[in-house]
Amino acid sequence: MELYLPIAEMSVHWLIILGMGAGVGFLSGMFGVGGGFLLTPLLIFYGIPTSIAVATTSSHLTASSLSGAIAQWRRRAVDFKMAAVMLAGGLTGTALGVSLLGLLHRSGQSDLVVSFLYVVMLGAVGGMMLNESARTLLAERHGVAAPARRRSGHAWIHGLPFKLRFRQSRLYISAIPPLGLGLIVGILSALMGVGGGFIIVPAMIYVLRMPTNVVVGTSLVPMVVVTAATTILQSVQNFTVDILLALVLIAGGTIGAQMGVRIASRLKGEQLRLLLAILVLIVALRLLYGLVATPDELYSVAVGTS
Amino acid sequence: MRLLVPTIVLLAMPAAAHGEDLVSGLSQDQIRITSNYTGTNITVFGAIEAIAANDAGAVRDIVVVIRGPDADMTVRRKVRIAGVWINRDAMQLHAMPTYYSVASSRPLAKIAGKETLERYQIGMVNVQPESVGTHNPKKAEPFRQAAIADRAHAGLYSEDTSVEFLGNSLFRARVPIPATVQRGEYTAEVLLFRDGNVVSAQTTPLFVDQFGFERGILNFAHREAFWYGLTAVMMAALFGWLSSLMFRERA
Repeated sequence: MELYLPIAEMSVHWLIILGMGAGVGFLSGMFGVGGGFLLTPLLIFYGIPTSIAVATTSSHLTASSLSGAIAQWRRRAVDFKMAAVMLAGGLTGTALGVSLLGLLHRSGQSDLVVSFLYVVMLGAVGGMMLNESARTLLAERHGVAAPARRRSGHAWIHGLPFKLRFRQSRLYISAIPPLGLGLIVGILSALMGVGGGFIIVPAMIYVLRMPTNVVVGTSLVPMVVVTAATTILQSVQNFTVDILLALVLIAGGTIGAQMGVRIASRLKGEQLRLLLAILVLIVALRLLYGLVATPDELYSVAVGTS
Repeated sequence: MRLLVPTIVLLAMPAAAHGEDLVSGLSQDQIRITSNYTGTNITVFGAIEAIAANDAGAVRDIVVVIRGPDADMTVRRKVRIAGVWINRDAMQLHAMPTYYSVASSRPLAKIAGKETLERYQIGMVNVQPESVGTHNPKKAEPFRQAAIADRAHAGLYSEDTSVEFLGNSLFRARVPIPATVQRGEYTAEVLLFRDGNVVSAQTTPLFVDQFGFERGILNFAHREAFWYGLTAVMMAALFGWLSSLMFRERA
């Protein structure tokens, strides 16, 4: 059951890779996230070189975000104008991210920076989600309605120029914040092999104040294009996309996502959010431990770089 | 390449003086990496020819050294700064073999003196880069040792006493070639030691390359990088679309 990966130049057990794809796909289906933040560390842990794990995960994310985007588009839950603005920022970010990754790689700090970014972002997002969902669940248990979120604040957004009307989102806001969010997604996609949904979705809800029903669909559209562009850029600049690895991962992901959706329909939204928060925090803690614990081997060897 | 020079000198000199020569071969001169490649073993075999009748008591040893394609390596050392481990010191090792394996008929220390082993780079500890990124060789030493340890950990450097004598002059050794070896030209060098001195040596090339479907993918990825990337995207898009169809049918 061994499969030799021509780009990674190593052989892997294809059932394990299929299982990883299915597991991450399961979580995608269950929580509605891309799962890149889990898949990239899993592949690295299995022994796939970091650069290949990051680049190949982006093609996996193209598949899962496209599947989600099509489903959301059928429900008319996509604000294409907003998506286009975010996409413009996203493509710029991708180009920046791919160059930045090359620069970090040459200085020997890419692993450190990538891990550090993961810890900070997953820690922040996981903490926020945990806090909120725990509070809601506790309030329900005590028979008290969860306090409604204040819809004030963030006045600075309304002071920015270049205002555009986003009909589907019922918003009249500056183009700068969605452009900036797109830029962040692009950089993260190239640098960390993640779609960035775990950051972009909360940001769209709490910073842009978009209606929740269009948030997921709208975030997926630029993600499809950005991850596709990342795949092509990584192929051309770094030769780091392994198409066989991608094929097995995507096949697993497609199966897993189906099961995930089925399970999700039996659980409550807040319970799901609590589970996801715990999962995100576990990954963050594991990565933090890797940064501060005394490593077994102080030396690391990179072959073929100069 | 640099191994060939002493080899040629050797072949010309002492072997002739003792009238002893070496014939050796490999079980395969090409390792084909295909879809089910998980590493392999190659057998190095040979015979010592023309052992003089009055000289049968001399101690003879066979050492087989297989080296892979050279590559530049960057070795980095982590330092703890503000509680976090950060790569700080780095050292360039130019032209280190990516694969190195030595098999011998007895432990190397018993076969020859330290200097001889160093000169022929026999034994993992004696693997040297062609040059290092510093003028102070002492500074590079811990980095060289770390690179050797790293490769040994990955199974790409190895050392054992697997050379067996079958009778007086026939010998055989099995050398592991793990799944993670690089493509390229390898050399298998067989050395005959007589009372601690190299008296004969023979070098045989060995090629490791990808074949078939995998080779096609590799060529495609490097020659038509854009179309390769686009193919990966189209494949992902196809799966994404199929998956969305399945979602709809259930809903």
